[in-house]
Amino acid sequence: MNVLASVLWKDLLCEWRSRDRLVAMLVFSLLVVLVFQFALPRQDAAHARALAPGLLWIAYAFAALLGLNRAFALELENEALSGLALVPVDRGWIFLGKAAANVALLAVVQGVTALVFAAVADLEILPVAGPLAGVIALGGLGICSVGTVFGAVAVRTSYREVMLPLLLLPLLMPVLIGAVRATAGLLESGSVPGDALRLLLVTDAVYLIISFLVFEYVLDE
Amino acid sequence: MSHGEGEGPGARLRRPLGALLAALVAVFAWLVVSAPIDGVQGVIQKILYVHPACAFAAYAGFGLTAFGGAMYLWRGDEAWDRLAAAAAEVGVVFCTLVILTGPLWAKGTWGHWWSWDPRLAVTLVLWFIYLAYTLLRSFTEDGERTARFAAVYGIVGLAAVPLNYAAIDLFGGRAIHPENLASGSLGAGMGWPFAAGVATALVAFAWLLLLRLEVEALRGRLLRRAAEADPAGRPGAP
Repeated sequence: MNVLASVLWKDLLCEWRSRDRLVAMLVFSLLVVLVFQFALPRQDAAHARALAPGLLWIAYAFAALLGLNRAFALELENEALSGLALVPVDRGWIFLGKAAANVALLAVVQGVTALVFAAVADLEILPVAGPLAGVIALGGLGICSVGTVFGAVAVRTSYREVMLPLLLLPLLMPVLIGAVRATAGLLESGSVPGDALRLLLVTDAVYLIISFLVFEYVLDE
Repeated sequence: MSHGEGEGPGARLRRPLGALLAALVAVFAWLVVSAPIDGVQGVIQKILYVHPACAFAAYAGFGLTAFGGAMYLWRGDEAWDRLAAAAAEVGVVFCTLVILTGPLWAKGTWGHWWSWDPRLAVTLVLWFIYLAYTLLRSFTEDGERTARFAAVYGIVGLAAVPLNYAAIDLFGGRAIHPENLASGSLGAGMGWPFAAGVATALVAFAWLLLLRLEVEALRGRLLRRAAEADPAGRPGAP
C-alpha cells in the first residue's frame, strides 16, 4: 500500500515539476476536438449530439495513448525502471501506483476536454456533471489499467510510439464501447444505461486484476 | 517439453501427419464436390466446408498461444514460448482465411461484403490482437524479454475476447450468423463434408504448427553452432 502511494506521489511530483506530459496530452486532446469540428460536415444540433460521445472518447483514447507512451519513458533514464524492479515488494503495487498516476493525469485532460467540447458543440453537460464524471473516471480507469502494462512493454520495443496503439486499441474496444454507450445514454436521457455500466465495471475489474497479476513479468529482473 | 539436438520430436510426428493431411485433402475435396448444392444459396454455400473449419483452427491457435504463454511464465521453459509463437502465427494464417472467405460468402448470401455481426466483429478484433502479438515479437529484441512480453499480451488478449463479444453485442450489431450445429442448420448430405473440412483444417493446423516449431528448433541449433564456433561472438546475434 505504501509502495502504491510512493509511486503515485513520485509520478505526480515529477509531473508537477515539468508539466510536460499533462500539457502535451491536453493540447493534443483539444486539437483532436478542433480537427473533428472541421473534418465533419456541418451538423444540426440533434446530429451533433448523437456524434458527441464517440468523438469525445476518441479524443480521450488518443490523448491517453500519448500520455501512456511517456509514462515509462521517464523511467528509462538513469535506469530508474531497474530501480523500481528491485523494490522488494509485490510488483502489482508498483503497477497500481503507476496506473493511479496515469488515471489522475488523464482525468484532468478528460475534464477540461469535456468542458471545451460541451461549449463548442453546445452540449448541456452541467445537469449530468456528477454521473458523467463517474463514467469518465470508469472509462479512464479501464484505459489506464491495460494501458499502463503495455506502456511499460511498448517503451522497451524498437518501435515504441507505434507499438502501443497497435497493442492497446483492440483491447480497449470493450472500454470504449461501454463508455460511449454510457455517455450517450447520459446525454440523451440523463441516466446511465445499466448494460453499458455493467460492461464498464466488468471490463475494468477484469483488466485491473489481470494487469495487477501480469505486471510482475513486464519489469526486467 | 524439451527437444533433442536432432530435429526434435515434432519432426517424427510431422511426416505421418503430412501423409494423413494429403489423404484428408483428397477425401475432403471429393466430399465437397459431391455434396448436394444448396437449394436457396446455390453453389456458394460450399464455402461452409472451409469457413467455419478455418475459424476452429484459428481459435485453437489463439487458445494455444495463451496457454503456451501462461505455461512459459509459470515454468520458464522456452519450449512453451516457441509453442505460443508458432500457434499465434499459424492462427493468424487461419484467421486471415476466415476473414477472406467470410465476405465472399456474405456478398453472395447476405448481399453485403461486411456486416457488424458480433461474431464477425469479434473475429476481426481477434485478428488484430494476434497480428499485434506477432508484431510485438518481431519488435522486441532480447529473446527472454520477447517471450515474457508476448506471454503477457497473449494472456490479456484472450481475456479480452469475451469482453469484446459482450461489448459488440451491446453496440448493437445484428446477429445474422447461423446458430451452432445443435440447432440443425446443416442440410441433408452436408454433415460429412463439413466434418471432413473441420478434420482437414485441424490436421493442417497441427502440421503447420509442427513445421513452425521445427524451424524454431533449427534456428536454436544454428545459434548454438555459431556460439560454439565463435565463443567471443555476439550472443544472440542471428
